[in-house]
Amino acid sequence: MGKLSVMREKDLIVIKAEEGRRMFLIRLALKNLTRHKRRVLITASIIAFGIAVFLIYDSVQIGINKLSFNNIRNLETGDLQVVNKDYWKEREELPLKNLVSQRKELMITIKKIPNFKAMAPQLKFSANLNNGLDQLPIIAYGVEPRLHQEVFTTEKYLVEGSMLSSGKYEAVLGKRLAKLMEFKVGDYLTLLFKTGEGTFNTIDARITGLLHTNNPEVNKNFVYIPLDIAQQALNLKGKVSQIVVNLGQNEKTEEITKRLTQKLSQKDKDLTAHSWREFAGEVIALSKAENVEKSVMMSVILLIAAVGIVNTIILSSLERTKEIGMMKALGLREREIILVFVIEAVGIGLIGGLIGSMLGSFGILYLNIYGVKLASLGGISDWGLPIMGRLYGYWNPSAFIFVIAFGLIVSLLASILPAYWAARKDPVEAIYDRY
Amino acid sequence: MVLLELKGVRKVYQQGKVEVAALRGIDLNIEEGEFTSIAGPSGSGKTTLLNMIGCLDTPTEGQIHFAGKETARSSKEELAMIRRHNLGFIFQDFNLVPVLSVYENVEFALKLLNGKKKREIKEQVMNILKAVGLGELANRRPNELSGGQKQRVSIARALVKEPKLVLADEPTANLDSETSHDVLEVMLDMNQKLNTTFIFSTHDPLVMEYANRLIKLKDGQTISDERKRFDSN
Repeated sequence: MGKLSVMREKDLIVIKAEEGRRMFLIRLALKNLTRHKRRVLITASIIAFGIAVFLIYDSVQIGINKLSFNNIRNLETGDLQVVNKDYWKEREELPLKNLVSQRKELMITIKKIPNFKAMAPQLKFSANLNNGLDQLPIIAYGVEPRLHQEVFTTEKYLVEGSMLSSGKYEAVLGKRLAKLMEFKVGDYLTLLFKTGEGTFNTIDARITGLLHTNNPEVNKNFVYIPLDIAQQALNLKGKVSQIVVNLGQNEKTEEITKRLTQKLSQKDKDLTAHSWREFAGEVIALSKAENVEKSVMMSVILLIAAVGIVNTIILSSLERTKEIGMMKALGLREREIILVFVIEAVGIGLIGGLIGSMLGSFGILYLNIYGVKLASLGGISDWGLPIMGRLYGYWNPSAFIFVIAFGLIVSLLASILPAYWAARKDPVEAIYDRY
Repeated sequence: MVLLELKGVRKVYQQGKVEVAALRGIDLNIEEGEFTSIAGPSGSGKTTLLNMIGCLDTPTEGQIHFAGKETARSSKEELAMIRRHNLGFIFQDFNLVPVLSVYENVEFALKLLNGKKKREIKEQVMNILKAVGLGELANRRPNELSGGQKQRVSIARALVKEPKLVLADEPTANLDSETSHDVLEVMLDMNQKLNTTFIFSTHDPLVMEYANRLIKLKDGQTISDERKRFDSN
């Protein structure tokens, strides 16, 4: 027992001494940062620039995603949609077969799902918009005006006139589309389309309102008309393409959608539910592509930073060759000398990280408060995203943690080889610095 | 008591295809407490010999016993540990760390040893700084010191851990004669007070004058080895 406790005491002394030694070397490494302040600052600035750009880019990307996803949910898809399975397969072609019947039983099933807020039936069909001189292909939406307002925020974007009324030959469309077709509020438009039976028909409707939303798709491609008018003209009474549901939040949407599909299949095998994410596949894919883009950008910037770190450590070790020799003469082991250089590099990374985070924070703060006009970022329609108007930046604390940690790791990894090279110097050659 | 024993030490450097013998069979014994000077013209092998003794280099042939331990075939790590615990070095260019204070430069050597408490370290560092006449300058940085003061810091750093042997390579080469005198007095004082063994490699007649043993080298061989009575006056 006595021997064991003496051994433990000895071990403790060695461990404490090791800690004290390490702390001294870390202090030395941090003091070394003050030797060539300008060089350290230049290397740290490269890291800071990379980190600031990454943080601002990340903030903008979150803003873009939030804006696009909200635009899709609030103006196009709602939180989830109930459709016929076969319709779902051909939905891109806007077929007028395999539609959903507006049955009371179905409505009750939908209403019973958790977080249910509202639902709105829609009848979507392809049509040509005609002004008497020209015509343009558009997507016509037969909507129930009152229910539509409970699910979508379309009315918020009404810039002229008013929304639709049921049972009247009225239409609402994007201001951009109206301008293109030289329509104004009060004018009559003509929709030319094929009915469910394949015969041609038209609807003449008075334009009651013009929209200017954040979703360019809505502004240039959509024409809204009352559902009953659409059903009558298409000869599809009681039929709709889909029932759109508002859940008020979207965290549990996927789970609720799955549950609803299960419930629907018990009553009608042909019906299924799909979340907005399935409609927004392209936008999500774009968002994922942006993530890849962000990673590539980050890698390039940090590669430059790594070169800076390697350069700094090599220069430092060349300048301090005699000092390395002295350290070796004092009895420092190679790994202890490596520690000094690695900590120095990590210190540069930390300075870069802190400056970068500060610069990034200023940028994000500005974007968060004032935002940026999307038009000023160049042709937004070229981005292929359903967004317009003003884009705001969002805070993402995890990005700060990630990017600083990443900066430190890159600094650490980049310094290991040059530090090893410095520590491996022959003590005699280092002391006399002959080479 | 013999502290250091060299037997048939040879060191051959390869310069391209040519082999250059820096040491050609050195046999040498150093007693504890000796104040020895190794002299000789440039290229005579003084520094090479000092490096062998200081465990900074290993011989091509021969044996070196330091405090009873054979060091000629030791690993890098073992040599580092011998240097850490038993050897002190004083360099011609002082080799102080410019970002550390005088105190920290001296503390550096002690921090490498196990089992020293903070208070002990402080006491030891301050004692040695006082002994070399730098007690008041503990917080200064090396760039705020004169050449002589820098060399005193270097001496304090070499002595603070109370090593068995201190090796000094041309310790007065960058000092004027008055400062050289001061520095040598400090080392002699330490040699007498602590019984620390000193070995100098030097061209400086003043250092040779102070030494109580003078070993002369030529072309990598010992040509004379004289002990003399040290006269402090």
